[in-house]
Amino acid sequence: MSHRPARTTVQPSRRALRSAVALGAVAALTLTACAGPSVGVGSSDDPSADATDVDWSQVEPASEITFWSNHPGQSREVEQAIIAEFEHETGISVDLVTAGANYDEVAQRFQAAAQTSELPDVVIASDVWWFRYFLNGQIMPLDGVLEHLDAQAEDFQPALYADYEYDDQHWAVPYARSTPLFYYNRDLWDAAGLPDRGPETWDELADWDEKLRAEVPQDGSTFGLSTGPSWGAWWFENMIWGQGGAYSDGFDLTLDTPESIAGGEFLGDLFGESGIATLSADDAMVDFSSGLIASTIGSTGSLTGALEAASFEVGTAYLPDGPAGGGTPTGGTGVAIPSSRSPEQQLAAAMFVQFLTDTERTATFSESTGYVPVRTSAVESETMQKIYESTPQFRTAVDQLAEKARPQDDARVFIPGADALLNEALEMIILEGQDPATAFETITPRIETAYSENVEPYL
Amino acid sequence: MLGARRRRRALWWALLLAGPNLLLLVTFTYRPLLESLYLSTLQWNLGSPDARFVGLGNYAEWFTAPTTGRIVTTTLVFTVATVGGALVLGLALALLLDRKVAGRSVARTVAFAPYVLSGFAVGILWLFIFDPRYGLLQEVLGWVGVASPQWYSDRPWPLVMVIVVYLWKNLGYVALIYLAGLQAVPQDLRDAAALDGAGRVRTLRSIVLPLLTPTTFFLLVTMLLASMQTFDIIKAMTQGGPLGSTTTLMYAIYEESFVNGRAGYASAVATVLFITLLAVTAVQMRYVQRKVHYV
Repeated sequence: MSHRPARTTVQPSRRALRSAVALGAVAALTLTACAGPSVGVGSSDDPSADATDVDWSQVEPASEITFWSNHPGQSREVEQAIIAEFEHETGISVDLVTAGANYDEVAQRFQAAAQTSELPDVVIASDVWWFRYFLNGQIMPLDGVLEHLDAQAEDFQPALYADYEYDDQHWAVPYARSTPLFYYNRDLWDAAGLPDRGPETWDELADWDEKLRAEVPQDGSTFGLSTGPSWGAWWFENMIWGQGGAYSDGFDLTLDTPESIAGGEFLGDLFGESGIATLSADDAMVDFSSGLIASTIGSTGSLTGALEAASFEVGTAYLPDGPAGGGTPTGGTGVAIPSSRSPEQQLAAAMFVQFLTDTERTATFSESTGYVPVRTSAVESETMQKIYESTPQFRTAVDQLAEKARPQDDARVFIPGADALLNEALEMIILEGQDPATAFETITPRIETAYSENVEPYL
Repeated sequence: MLGARRRRRALWWALLLAGPNLLLLVTFTYRPLLESLYLSTLQWNLGSPDARFVGLGNYAEWFTAPTTGRIVTTTLVFTVATVGGALVLGLALALLLDRKVAGRSVARTVAFAPYVLSGFAVGILWLFIFDPRYGLLQEVLGWVGVASPQWYSDRPWPLVMVIVVYLWKNLGYVALIYLAGLQAVPQDLRDAAALDGAGRVRTLRSIVLPLLTPTTFFLLVTMLLASMQTFDIIKAMTQGGPLGSTTTLMYAIYEESFVNGRAGYASAVATVLFITLLAVTAVQMRYVQRKVHYV
């Protein structure tokens, strides 16, 4: 018979428990607490005032700056190489900080750091985030300083540079920019006896469905896609535009027009009755690379990865049109400069931004990632011409941009949280087979609230 | 006289010794708490230098928002399933580990290991396991002729998935605490029960479980607090989706604050969570603890 001590460690006292409880509960509240705003002002001060008043010729650039990036398209090494060149050329050192794994994380960190001194000098500003930075007065207009540096802003691809324009000023410059592309499995296409090109219209893809389905594995499909924030509502723009609809006209939501609802119905049919498309569990590009689905839509930024991962010939094409045409949204990210930094730092930052997006660096960056060259001169550069010759898939994005690009609907890119809500409506249609009119109706008041609370008072 | 002076001196000593900790507590715990309460009365875009005072407007919105019911239900299901599941399975695991078998200490270490892993890493890893097309789980289910559910997309499977992963991660902790509790049950009581002819089940029910009530109570309180504040696994696995089906109160706070930028509203939701936790724990302290038996 053994005797153990009657009480050991795990008999916590009531008082100890109480303290533990208090501490634990308090932790729930501390999540949202950070530096506070000033209260009582309806709209923010004009952030452009400071930057436009600066006489840049009187400013000496700072010797050290910080760049917050998520290294889009696994570009950390390229970014570092570009920085090394910049440091060598100018003597200004750049601290490259991984400020998040994606655009959203960088943006969240940047917003949380507002009103602190822990701010970068150059920051990633994606298509759905830069306007929020602008609304909060966190970034400066770049026109003046770029002109002073003779950065040739007019050489940026017009469709891409115009994306950052508001109040007749540009608040960022294009950096890692992309469009969605139609990716197809050329081997399967060949086996199905189809021409080596993407479908010109969604109807054509439907016509090809029977032949393609005979070639894919049993649980595969002709076309596949995944949904998700910062993604679903992006590619769906092509489909809703294809039916003549749009998310919004300016800031006025147009989700209840017959054309927009037709867009929703098209989506429902694509994943539902017609059986042409299946929803990929996580990343459709994985299903595509494994041969499970014969085609998909992916960002241009995924091109290099797709070419490496697939064991078959990958084809790229424009996004298919609908009865009312279609077009492609542009996306990806630009770079912006915070408004609260000193003019010295802003000037150094602008010099870096200029260097990062000059013709040569643009070509280098595009070559290693697949992102669209943001400068017209870079598209025509020798580097890019060589790439287009050896890997013609790279060319599709550039041509599509020139021929089919259309600015994104304001509701998606300018209203905080609207992108996630739009994606929610798409999931209601795809996952639950909900009636598109009802799905759009459900999210409309929530987007309107977001606009009236988070955008309107600040304009 | 002397007594009073000595007392005063003792008080100074106490303050001096506790001071640094108190200071940290006030600065990093209570100050943010009060600030958050203040923020909950504002309509404020995260990052903006300006805000508008809206009084209790954010609270009114929370209690009338169409998504509130869903968020509360999801939080309830998640909490009950994870706390209940962890207590039952953790106790079972502890009873297993309490036996004198070869390799016992290795088994204990293995059981506890998931608890010290990062929730985010665990979430990502389990995503691979749950993958309905390529995952390990669909393979295993295939052996017994069961088709894998669509873990990522068909409700309620995404919620089931995060609950399973939460349980897996925290089971070791619960088992360890129970194990310590089990070892504190006096052997003579067990022996006496055996002499009186009680079998294993009877001994467990009448001797062991009642004597474990302080441990159970401790676990109930701490697990409830931890479970209601789960963030990492949900963020890594489902981001609150699809269609908000895994959005708990805690995740909603994050989403409103950092995704939608509505820091004032998020602070109001955080305050609601805070008050809920406080209330639940107060009830536990008052009523549940009465049923606790100490040796």
